[in-house]
Amino acid sequence: MDFNPCTKHQLIRKSVREFAENEIKPHVSDLDREARFPWEIVEKMKPLNFFGLQTPREYGGADLDTISYAIVIEEISRVSAALGLCVTVHNSVGIYPILKFGTKTQKTTFVPDLAGGARIGAFCLTEANAGSDAGGVETHAVEVADGYVLNGTKIFVTNGGVCGTILVFAVSETEAKKGLASVFIVEKERPGFSVGEIEDLCGMRANPVSSLFFEDCKVPHENLLGRMGQGIKIGLSALDTGRIGIAAQALGIAQAAFEAAASYAKERQQFSRPISKFQTIQNYLADIATEIDASRLLLYRAAARKDSGQPFSAESSMAKLHCSATARKVTDLAVQIHGGYGYSKEYDVERYFRDAKVTQIYEGTSEVQKLVIARSILSQPS
Amino acid sequence: MLNIIVCIKQVPMVSELPWDSKTGTLRREVAPGMLDPASRRALEAALRIKAGQPARISAVAMGPPMAEEVLYEAKALGADTGILLTDRKMAGADTYLTSFILGELIRREFPDFDLILCGSQTSDSETGQVGPQLAEELGIPDIGYARRVTIVNSSVKVERHVDDYFEVLEMDLPGLVTVDLAAYQPRYAPLEGLQAAFESTDIRIINAKALGLDNTFNALKDSPTRIIEVFSPTARKENRVLKGAVKKIVDGLFADYGKVISGALGKDLKTYAHDGE
Repeated sequence: MDFNPCTKHQLIRKSVREFAENEIKPHVSDLDREARFPWEIVEKMKPLNFFGLQTPREYGGADLDTISYAIVIEEISRVSAALGLCVTVHNSVGIYPILKFGTKTQKTTFVPDLAGGARIGAFCLTEANAGSDAGGVETHAVEVADGYVLNGTKIFVTNGGVCGTILVFAVSETEAKKGLASVFIVEKERPGFSVGEIEDLCGMRANPVSSLFFEDCKVPHENLLGRMGQGIKIGLSALDTGRIGIAAQALGIAQAAFEAAASYAKERQQFSRPISKFQTIQNYLADIATEIDASRLLLYRAAARKDSGQPFSAESSMAKLHCSATARKVTDLAVQIHGGYGYSKEYDVERYFRDAKVTQIYEGTSEVQKLVIARSILSQPS
Repeated sequence: MLNIIVCIKQVPMVSELPWDSKTGTLRREVAPGMLDPASRRALEAALRIKAGQPARISAVAMGPPMAEEVLYEAKALGADTGILLTDRKMAGADTYLTSFILGELIRREFPDFDLILCGSQTSDSETGQVGPQLAEELGIPDIGYARRVTIVNSSVKVERHVDDYFEVLEMDLPGLVTVDLAAYQPRYAPLEGLQAAFESTDIRIINAKALGLDNTFNALKDSPTRIIEVFSPTARKENRVLKGAVKKIVDGLFADYGKVISGALGKDLKTYAHDGE
């Protein structure tokens, strides 16, 4: 067992960090304040393969392993959690289901545009009455001669305001009775598709989270992903992968908060010495560093299991559960260490504090992660 | 096809360089490495040439085994192959021996090279000597501090900033050009390139023996340059209040700081002062 990162992973981290520090960081505060999606940064990210992280080369991607993927998301999120969110959701739940469940034609039709960043991906499951309970989906699909007609409203869709290709969960009449669902690929140009207002959220404000409306929105048969009734399976598989991305995002936020707190503690003078000389602050920093290290190990283990073809569902849930809790705790302590300044928008920790909370909510709440973990434990022979 | 060699170096990333006070050299093992910024611009110049015509770019680095990383980075950025010169016997080489070792490699591995590009100076030692010395070693012409490098037929055209003017030079190939820090905005490595760099087997490791160096070769011992002392410069600030009559203050000011003020103003203050009387 070797806990040292290999040369490739070190170099990928350095390269992404350099890009993020130079091209994203100078704008992060403004983007958050203006709740604006940075298309100009996206343009710079496209040729560097940020939108096709694990997509095979034949479809225009970088073909990265999952640990590299986690490192990329961690490093973007260390600077901009909102952009990290865009990239991870696009790559994991936006592209991965098409690669795993799509036909050859669907892959060649939809994936190159997504992997090249020409279209931003989104995945919409959540509705007013369906979230953790995927069985509660009410958006329905009716089969007609030349395809399916979708009707319904999806809410809190990450990348909703900028998406080009959307994976939509819907149920047919027969599926509804059996608790099944199906997934349809919808392009934003389809008549009957529209985007609602951008949500006014606490954090991740540069990501245009919105509602999506489907009103007699017709897609051809070839836009059904997998088979009818396979939706829950596709969704769970996508979310297993997505959790690694969200865990990495949470870790990136925690890392940023840690660096800010440590640096501030060494600079800030009280009682004629830096506050880092006080044992209370040292306790905080030690707790933070330990939690971050534990989070990182959990995350890379989940990613390594995925890369080696082993089951990773429980491990990715553990990683997501712990990384998001760490982000929450660390950003809280980082604000505390900053005192009054930490509560001001002048300091980045205020943004980290707001951004962190949702990592415990989306892509499966912490409570749902515990269900996944418990199910895995209890299914083991005793 | 144009055969380009780019000499690159791994340098410590930190600005606060960890020195070994006993040997007067950098403690490279404790600082994370990075591709030297000027080397990166030399590579960028090569990549821009390659974008316009058929060319083969070979990146060459010398350093400890961990310096292999910058060759992977060069591959990710678009270099075709990489060679790492690494051996304990080469460690501690000064610029003279470094140029000699690079020259040996180039004579041996790239006898038909057209253009060698180096950074004008590395960020860790800033001597600016290896490029020109390598040209001497190989008996080829060289131009330093290029801002722009283009190929015109069988010669290289170089634009550079000298004092207060721009200079455009043309030089026959084969030749060597060192590229300035102010040249080009270097590109970022694409993730696909980074992944592919580690899948390829185009990076070779060459040691002293493979280079045909004598068994007694010992760079640290054989280097004619001796580093006597390495220290961080410290800036001091002092406030002084000059008191008394105006003439006394001005005279005191001129006596103690005349040279500094004259230098900043570009005028001889004594002449100026007498003019005022």
